[in-house]
Order: sequence, then structure tokens, then C-alpha cells
Amino acid sequence: MNKLILAAGALLLAAAPALAHVSLEKGEAPVGSTYKAVFRVPHGCEGLATNVVRVRIPEGVIAVKPMPKPGWTLEKIKGKYARTYDYYGTPTGEGVQEIVWKGGNLADDEYDEFILRGYITPDLGVGSTLYFPVVQECGADKAERWIEIPAEGQTSDDLELPAPGVTLIEKTGGH
Amino acid sequence: MIRWLAHLARLLPIVILAMAMQVAAAFAHASLTGSEPADGTVVATAPQAYSLTFSEPVSPLSLSLVGPDGGTVALDRFELVDRTLRIAAPAGIGPGTHVLSWRVVSEDGHPIGGALVFSVGAPSGGTPQLADDSDPAVLAGLWLCKVALYLGLFAGSGGAFARRVLMPAIASGHRFVTVMLLIGAAGAVLSIGFQGRDALGAGRLGDIAVWSAGLGTSYGRTVFAGLLAFALAGIAPRLAGRAGYGAACGALLLAGLAPALSGHASAAAPQTLMRPAVFLHAAAIAVWIGALVPLGLALTRGEAGAAVALRRFSRIIPGVVAVLVLAGIVLAAVQVGRPGALLDTAYGQVFVVKLALLIVLFLLAATNRWGLTARAEAGEPAATRRLARSIAAETLVVLLVFGAAAAWRFTPPPRVLDAAAAVPVTMHAHTDKAMAELTVTPGRAGPVSVAATLLTASFEPMEAKEVTFVFSNPAAGIEPFKRQAGRQADGTWRSDGVVLPLAGEWSLRVDVLVSDFEILRLAGTLAIRP
Repeated sequence: MNKLILAAGALLLAAAPALAHVSLEKGEAPVGSTYKAVFRVPHGCEGLATNVVRVRIPEGVIAVKPMPKPGWTLEKIKGKYARTYDYYGTPTGEGVQEIVWKGGNLADDEYDEFILRGYITPDLGVGSTLYFPVVQECGADKAERWIEIPAEGQTSDDLELPAPGVTLIEKTGGH
Repeated sequence: MIRWLAHLARLLPIVILAMAMQVAAAFAHASLTGSEPADGTVVATAPQAYSLTFSEPVSPLSLSLVGPDGGTVALDRFELVDRTLRIAAPAGIGPGTHVLSWRVVSEDGHPIGGALVFSVGAPSGGTPQLADDSDPAVLAGLWLCKVALYLGLFAGSGGAFARRVLMPAIASGHRFVTVMLLIGAAGAVLSIGFQGRDALGAGRLGDIAVWSAGLGTSYGRTVFAGLLAFALAGIAPRLAGRAGYGAACGALLLAGLAPALSGHASAAAPQTLMRPAVFLHAAAIAVWIGALVPLGLALTRGEAGAAVALRRFSRIIPGVVAVLVLAGIVLAAVQVGRPGALLDTAYGQVFVVKLALLIVLFLLAATNRWGLTARAEAGEPAATRRLARSIAAETLVVLLVFGAAAAWRFTPPPRVLDAAAAVPVTMHAHTDKAMAELTVTPGRAGPVSVAATLLTASFEPMEAKEVTFVFSNPAAGIEPFKRQAGRQADGTWRSDGVVLPLAGEWSLRVDVLVSDFEILRLAGTLAIRP
């Protein structure tokens, strides 16, 4: 029995760094509310350190604010949304569409989280998955691109480079 | 109760761990970060061990080495050191391209696979072969008719020239030459039928379609020239004075021209060199071979003019043989191309046989010239008899040479094989967002170049940031390996130096990075020739 616990413990300790994709910590979010997206970056590009992390904001997520990170420069790239959304009474037609954290150095054997906050508009379908394509750039020419979105009938597990996704659930009470 | 709770308490950490592992399971995927030898490289000697380094510890599911001949060896001696898998290489790895096909599983159970393509010494590329399936009766007919044509052209027309122009002093050989001309004419006419049957691939000699097909080929021109040569050679003895002389010369010229009008040798580039070379080679053969039997017969019968004829023959023959050999060398150089082709192509092998026979022939001719001719000219009967017998032996060897040369009808020269082997293979792949046209040159196993043209769904040229080709051969057990493509000036994407070690059906996927955040994958299959 003790041996089993020991083995399971060893496996967990060994498994903990075994996260290769960039993924979102919270896999579910209610529509019509603010979502704190925590992007977990467990690896560099084939052993190299990550210097740039770029996140593309999907259509339907507005009022995006990134969390600054010491040692990294933040760039917010703005653009027009596909339509005008109602943000707590204010019509919003444009905003941040891409966030870039650059100038940092996250080694391959280190882990970090990149956080941004955005409002998931209520007319996005409940039960559907919202994908945030992420690109990690290491050095001048290497990159890991977690940008594939599953087609009909596919799941993220089938893809080589799946984009981190969050499943949308029913709007909960509150404001 | 307490004991039960105590048991549960002991189980609780495992439950928590299991739940934690559930979360981890969804996200783990190892990736290959390095390997030894590196993918797509050429190493001087076979490595003693291979190593694959991953981003996290893995355990192997299957490791195999696919050799240049397609044989697979399972690799079962390995050890995992930190995140590197060290694999012992099997013994007896020969030169050529090998593929280390690996499939491993990350700790959570997600498998990943890939392939390492490396070459020992030089990349392997198969010997090009051309399939040729024909009715053996037709092939035998073609061969016999070709030999008959040679007899008619060289012994018949050449013989008429020898008797009338070269050695007019002798009277022997008239019947022999006439028989040769008749054989040649029969062979020439029948060969049209066989040629047409071979060209069509079906039908019988009685069908008109077969004969018209035969006449339609370039070989028809050769047959016409040959028949004309036979006609002139036939009437030459009957015409007196200059007319007969002219007819005999015309017969010789046409005998040289006929082979130059068709066949692989005449059609090769550069034409200005090859056609005259074939003409000179054939004309020289006609002069030499045409004179042999009449001379031999004259010597045997002890004709009065035999000595004079022998003297004339000996005087001009060195020049004729020099022209023959020179033209032959030119033809061989262009047709065979590379020395290796002498042994690994059928054409080359026939050439080696012909060369061996020619060496025997030249030895006989040399003994005749320097050993016997002087004494025979002086009139020594013993020498004359030996010379006659030696000429008979030469004639027999010449017949064998004709047989060998006629066999070339069935073997494409290496020049043609190389051109056929270089033919590229194309592939088309499309999704609803894009399409790709791929060309793999040459379309056979070995080092290839892959070029892709990308188009959007509405057939506009598509711009991309990066394009990668991913090759795999599931039937041969080769996991996918990637090759980066470079953008060319004309907008196509190209990857050179890709080695596809085996023939067969390969899966090719084109990964197109349209923008930083969009990637398209287009897949298709390629049939690679051996």
C-alpha cells in the first residue's frame, strides 16, 4: 500500500512538469461576465527560452486588459471589432485584439503564467469553446504556435498545435 | 469503523493525486528537441548508437530502423537517461539512406511519433529501370529480322561494293552476296510487321493496322533505305562500266544511311554528331564485312586475282577500321553515358558482350594481317589456306556481333533510362480554404526536390509566411518527418535535398503558415517509383 502511494506520488511529481502545450488555467467561463485568462507556459521552443508571448483575442471578447509582468514589455494592439458590442451600456466597436509580452526570458526549464482579463459578451454561444491562439517566440527565428482550432468533429487532442480554449457556460447571477 | 476510516485516509492522497493527474493528462505532449544523428544529414560512417532528446521523459512504444532496401529492424536495446533516449545501433548497417522511425509515449499516455532520415556515405537512389512487357514471339521475330537486315546491309550491299569497287579482280561471292541480299530484303519487309505489332501491343501479322503502324514509325524509313540499297546492290553486277560502279557505291552509301535513319543512337543529342557517327560506323562495317566472305572464297578456290584483291584489301582496311572504331567510341560514349551503366543496365551488358566479341574479332584480324597476309600475297598455299580458314572464323564472330547488336533493340540506352527516371511526380491537395500543387523531381526513390505552388480557394496565388513538407510512409513503418521549404523568386516554395529512401506510396502533408495565427494543413499521397 505504501509502495503504491510512493509510486503515485513519484508519478505526480514527475508528471507535474509534463505540460507541453500553452493552456488556460480556468477551462470554463460564464458568458456575459469578466474572465481572467491565465495562460500557462510550461516550455520553450524545442529547448530554447521564450522571449515573446503573443495572444490573439478572439471575436466576442472585449475590454481586454493585460497584467504587466516584471522583466517583460507589454504591447496592446488595437483594432476594430467585427460589430459593436454593448459593454455595460457603452457601445464598444473597437479595442485590444492582440496582446504581446516581449523582451523577457523564460527558460525551457522554467514555468510562468501570462494573465489578461476580458469581458465575454453574452451573445457567444453557451456550450461552445472560445479559442485564444498563442504564439511563443524564442530568439529570432524559432516559434511555437498554439494556433490550431479544431474543425467540426475534431477535438483539441487530435491537433498537433492546439490553441488554448475555454468552454462557455451559462451566465451566473451577479453583476 | 475506525479501521475503515484509516484505510480511507490512506487512500485519500491517491485519489487526490489521481484527480490532479486527470488535469495534467489533458495537456501533456512531449516534443523532440534534438537527435544524434541530425535529421536529413549524411554521415561518413554508420553510427554506433542513436540518441533522441525530448522535452520531457518518455518511454518508447516502438523503435525501428528502415534500411535502403525497405527491410525493417526493430531496435530493442535502449536506455533512458534523463530526457534522452539512447538506442544501440544494430550491426551491419550498410551505405545508403536509413530511417529511424520512433514512436514514444509521454508520461500521461499521449503518443507522439516521428522519423529521423539519415544517410551513411551517400543518399541511396535506386537504379532506374523501364518496364518492358512484350510478346516473346514478337521479340524473337524482331531480333531475327534485325539480324537478317544487318546481313543484307553489310554482307549483301557491302559485298556488292567489295566485289565491284574494292576488289574487282575476284569473281567469287556472287551467289553469296545474292543470298544475303534476299535474306536482308525478307528481313526488312517482315520487320515492318513485327515493329508495328510491337508498337501497337496487340494484333496479328495479318492485320493491315499492324503493317501501317510499322510503316508509320521511323523504322519504316530505315527499311525503305535498306530495300533501295539491296536493289542497287542487286543490279550492280549486271551493269557494265561506270553505271555498275555507281550502283555499287550507291548501295554502300545507302547501307550506311539506313541505320542512321532510326534507332536510339541516331536520335540522341547532339544530332549533328550522332547521325554522321552512325552512318560512318555502318558504312565502315559494310566495307570490311562485305569484303570478308568474297575474299575468303577467292582464297579458298585459289583464284588468280586473289592475291591482288588481298593486297588492295590490306591497304585500305586500316583506315576503314580506324573510322569504324572512332565512330563506335563516340556512339558508346553518348549512349552509355556513365561507366557504371555498363554493368547495371541491360544496354551496358549487351555492350560488354559485343565488346568481348569485337576483341576476339580484332585479334583474328590482327593475326591475319601481320601473321598471314604477307605470306599469302607471296602465294604460299599453306598460308593462303590458313588465311581462308581464319576469315571463316572472323565471319562467324561477325555473325555473333550482329546478334548482340540486334539485342539493343530491346534495351533502352542508359541515356533514355535516366531521362525516364527523372520524370517528376505531381500531387494535388486542397481543402476549402486553399489548394497546393506539388511536384517531386525526380519521381523516384533517393534525393528529391519538392516544389509547391499555393493557391487560395478562388485560385489566386497565396502568400504564406512559412511552408513545411511532412513526409511519412505508414506502410513501410516510417513516421512523419518534416522538411522546411524556402520561398523562391517566382512565388513557389521549394525544398531540396529531401531523401525519400524507399519507393511506394508516401503521404505528404503541406503545412502552410498563412499568418502568425493561422496554419493550414493540406494532405495527399505520392506514388514514388523505385
